[in-house]
Amino acid sequence: MSTTDQRHQGTGGTAAEAPMVLAEGVHKRFGLNEVLKGIDMTVNRGEVVCLLGPSGSGKSTFLRCINHLEPINRGRITVDGQIVGYREKEGRLHELPEKVAVQQRADIGMVFQRFNLFAHKTALDNITEAPVLVRGIARKDAEKRALELLDRVGLGDRGKAYPSQLSGGQQQRVAIARALAMDPKLMLFDEPTSALDPELVGDVLDVMRDLAKAGMTMVVVTHEIGFAREVGDRVVFMDEGVVVESGPPSQVLDAPQETRTRTFLSKVL
Amino acid sequence: MAHDTATTAEDIKAVPVRRYGRWAVAVVVSVFVASLLYSAARNERFKWDVVGDYLFSGRVMDGLWLTLWLSTVAVVIGVILGTLLAVMRLSSNPVLSTISLVYIWFFRGTPVLVQLIGWAFIGALYPQISFGVPFGGPDLISGSGNDIITPITAAILGLGLNLAAYQSEIVRAGLLSVDEGQVEAGKALGLTGSQTMRRIVLPQAMRVIIPPTGNQAIDMLKTSSLVSVIAVSDLLYSVQLIYGQNYQQIPLLVVACIWYLFFTTLLSIGQYYLERHFAKGNVRTLPPTPLQRIRARTSGMRFGASGGGGGAGA
Repeated sequence: MSTTDQRHQGTGGTAAEAPMVLAEGVHKRFGLNEVLKGIDMTVNRGEVVCLLGPSGSGKSTFLRCINHLEPINRGRITVDGQIVGYREKEGRLHELPEKVAVQQRADIGMVFQRFNLFAHKTALDNITEAPVLVRGIARKDAEKRALELLDRVGLGDRGKAYPSQLSGGQQQRVAIARALAMDPKLMLFDEPTSALDPELVGDVLDVMRDLAKAGMTMVVVTHEIGFAREVGDRVVFMDEGVVVESGPPSQVLDAPQETRTRTFLSKVL
Repeated sequence: MAHDTATTAEDIKAVPVRRYGRWAVAVVVSVFVASLLYSAARNERFKWDVVGDYLFSGRVMDGLWLTLWLSTVAVVIGVILGTLLAVMRLSSNPVLSTISLVYIWFFRGTPVLVQLIGWAFIGALYPQISFGVPFGGPDLISGSGNDIITPITAAILGLGLNLAAYQSEIVRAGLLSVDEGQVEAGKALGLTGSQTMRRIVLPQAMRVIIPPTGNQAIDMLKTSSLVSVIAVSDLLYSVQLIYGQNYQQIPLLVVACIWYLFFTTLLSIGQYYLERHFAKGNVRTLPPTPLQRIRARTSGMRFGASGGGGGAGA
């Protein structure tokens, strides 16, 4: 089964035309608890979409569905024109074998709320691990690239530090560098600043802002309304597993149409 | 005030609290231990001269050598198989996890002594053993049960397979102790399940796995003495044979204990350094080794500087 076949499926367009992320009617259940109740969403290339919403609204779960960390129960998600986690054959979905599924994930960078740096590896080794292991890049080249990336996130001198020797903000910036080392076509951020001390938030947001300026396609779950307003091309407000409202920040944040959005914003602003 | 500046401008040199209770207990215990050692040294029934005669005797050395390599082989089998069983147990593959569960159920649920005897007498159950293509295909290896399973083989299998069952639970505890986020990060970067296990989870689990594993290795050194029941001449069996002839039970058991103690001490030291190695990244600065501590203290005394100089060593 060639990849071009897959790209033509589902979206009806070629990879170049297809949006980076296309979610159609996504449902996700944990046991009897339905967390996502039919999410439709499009993220275009180079676009920064910020997901806002109260805790428990399903925004983090949805993010984790995009790279198949959580399999979905109904609907479909495509990234770059490819169905995530499955391939379609004669009208049925077949689970992707691990080798293929892994390649899909490798192209999607993810940054976690709790950083999740590999605790037993230095900052540099955290960054080189996947390029060497997954992409088969020579260690020397991977290290050179890792140093450039550390420089880019303002930590050029901390390559030899272990995560426990770094502040939360530094760890998160290393985590961003680690994701970027895989040259992802899409970056997912799951509340990247929620676990940080207030004075450390700025550094991380700066790195993300630069990334957005460089044209990276980003989906950001965040509580930073200011960041969403400034950097987001589009804001999506979610509540109780559905998309309540979406549009440019000026519309959703400043002139929300829905009462649920207004209630939420009045609490966080 | 002069008084204030004197106390705040310099490092604090406070007079420590006098711990009289500590001193009192130390004195009492020292006297007790000294009198115990004195009585042991003076008690002629210990026959220290006999202990000295046999400590390095050829038969004792042969037994010691067998105990050492038998324990080593059993621990290696136990650790490798135990790790495999733990990974199988946690696998999402129901076949693998059931196999592991049943294995642990059986080998942990029956006495190791019975398992040893069972392997030793396997010839009684299977007079003819052959490995080959099942259901009537050609044999690759075949022979009588007693030829294939010698007492030594039985000892290795009995000890190693039993240890594996316990070891797998230790490894499983270690694997479960690693934060789920580490696995997710590995997955999100495109690592396969086995890459995540080998490169991310296992190295971090080692910190939790090593102390109880050191315990198991020390235990194995002594548990291996059970093989005397299947006539494998390990350290204990060798001294038993000797005192069976000369009736010097106590001195010869002392000989055995001296060797067991010596090698368990070595193992403990090895465990200490192994733990340090795998503590990497979990503590900001590693505590100094005893050797570094002694060096720091002696150099401190010699040069009058306070201890704790970051002397690299060992």
